[in-house]
Amino acid sequence: MKDKRMTLKEAVAKFTWDGCTLNIGSICAREPMAVAHEIIRQGRKNITFITDTTSDPAELLVAAGCFSRIEAAYIWIGVVGQGYNIRRAVEEGIPNHIEIEPYSNYTAGLRLMAGAMGVPFLPTKSLLGSDILTYNPKIKVIDDPYGSGPVALIPAANPDTTFIHVQRADMAGNCQIWGMLGNDDYAARAAKNVVITCEEIVPTSEIRKIPNMTVIPEYVVSAVVELPFGCHPLSVTGCYWMDNPFRQEFIKASRTREGILAWMDEWVFGVENHEQYLDKVGRDRLAKLQELEQDNCMIPEIIWRTREGM
Amino acid sequence: MKKYAEDYTISEMMAAVCSLQINNDDVAFVGVGIPLMAGAVAAATHAPDVIIVYEGGGVGAKSRRMPWTISDTPTTDNALAATAMHRVFSDQQRGFITVGIIGGAEIDKYGNLNTTAIFGENGSYHHPRVRLPGSGGANDIASSARRTVIVMRLEKGKFVNKVDFITSPGFLSGPGAREKAGLLGDGPCAVVTDRGLFKFDPETKEMYLEAIYPGMDVEQIKELIDWDLKVSPDLYVMDPPTEEQITVMRTLDPMGTVLGRKSLRGEIEPFDVYYNSLKKSYQGRAITL
Repeated sequence: MKDKRMTLKEAVAKFTWDGCTLNIGSICAREPMAVAHEIIRQGRKNITFITDTTSDPAELLVAAGCFSRIEAAYIWIGVVGQGYNIRRAVEEGIPNHIEIEPYSNYTAGLRLMAGAMGVPFLPTKSLLGSDILTYNPKIKVIDDPYGSGPVALIPAANPDTTFIHVQRADMAGNCQIWGMLGNDDYAARAAKNVVITCEEIVPTSEIRKIPNMTVIPEYVVSAVVELPFGCHPLSVTGCYWMDNPFRQEFIKASRTREGILAWMDEWVFGVENHEQYLDKVGRDRLAKLQELEQDNCMIPEIIWRTREGM
Repeated sequence: MKKYAEDYTISEMMAAVCSLQINNDDVAFVGVGIPLMAGAVAAATHAPDVIIVYEGGGVGAKSRRMPWTISDTPTTDNALAATAMHRVFSDQQRGFITVGIIGGAEIDKYGNLNTTAIFGENGSYHHPRVRLPGSGGANDIASSARRTVIVMRLEKGKFVNKVDFITSPGFLSGPGAREKAGLLGDGPCAVVTDRGLFKFDPETKEMYLEAIYPGMDVEQIKELIDWDLKVSPDLYVMDPPTEEQITVMRTLDPMGTVLGRKSLRGEIEPFDVYYNSLKKSYQGRAITL
């Protein structure tokens, strides 16, 4: 059994660098904030961020000046407020101007799907007639040679590194995901390096009990990091619910440049690692978030048995 | 006999009107905000067999709490399937999604939507006056869902002659343009606003005023719209939300997170208040089960 475990600090140091192309998996649920914190602490710059839809982690990485370019469908803070940091970057160039190459959620997924299939592009009937085509020079529209009319060709993406947060994985990187998958199955197969962060590392025998839940197999995975509450203040299905009051504080701070810098000093640079961050959030609070999620949704135990009399 | 609510907000009225655009036999793709609530209300009231599909990959959830985004954990709570984003969008392109409900920041008379950027004077795509979130899945829904319903507030400067950026296609430049572009879906069928309901002329593809909400005025509505708005000869005043619809909304969304009844954008609630009101909302779970 291969042991790919490392710390978050080691994984970020090894698999990100200035100027890399980066993906962080999932949307809202299972978006690992802890990864964004560590990338910021290590001071990475000039990253091209490739994603479908992203919320809090991208906002923070934008504020920290880690990105120079984003290729995405949606960059914002959902529900609780707007994306002040992305707005400041694009509208005012603070802390640096970011160029955004536009996609839709489906076509952002098709890029990763093509990358995961090892083909150069995939055709679609999305985007036709829209200005996403006007401002995204990579996408070409051709006449379908088989006669269905215009089709848009979405070129493959193979990011240098993706970070994907899952509920459980073994130490070799076999990952089981509960709840919606986003585009993570393809993101993992498209990226050149895959870092799995997980709520819990489990024995491989647990994985084998329910192989249908395995979304990412070990042969695409480079490293595994055990990172409980790695998505706080976002949620993880079956594990913990969103900490909206915390996000409101983050958004309030984001209204001004001074505010978000102070916020980062406190919550990112003011702690050395994720453990210290969790202590600072408070273990009681985390337990309540866990309770709020598990009141509603838990990963069910699967017990296989033969029917009586058979 | 329907009992109508006497005390309701305009956001609740919008969600109620929007929910009535969803039929019992629909497979419905719902976007963030009021569309999410409209889907939940439809499923809990007049359309118990509707299958709500969320962009993240959740299919047929009977959530015991309100999803706040298209991919948070309630989108697979009590669900029929938890699958992937590319899967549900492929299902849509294949033709399985019968209605999609999306929001917008800027719209023109052909129902083309902008959620990408307001360029402003001397502005451009890369240097806009206001950067917005982008498409998310809205372009895909507007392209390929069999029909789409648009939800947005009617404010001056938002219903314009030409949008700065077509994020999600309506009827593009008019009759025949969608077909020429190669789009699969039939395009927008209704625009739900905070003052009235708009539809599209089958011949000209132009948006017109179909009905107004109680207490609203046609002339005031026309003043907010940049083009010369046509009004249905059969214009009518719509019913307010029913008590049942309002009960569902307030039970699923006790803090008004989705409909902004008690806005999360203003005062920050203490964590314990947040925790206790969510606990309370779970007691209302029987509604959708």
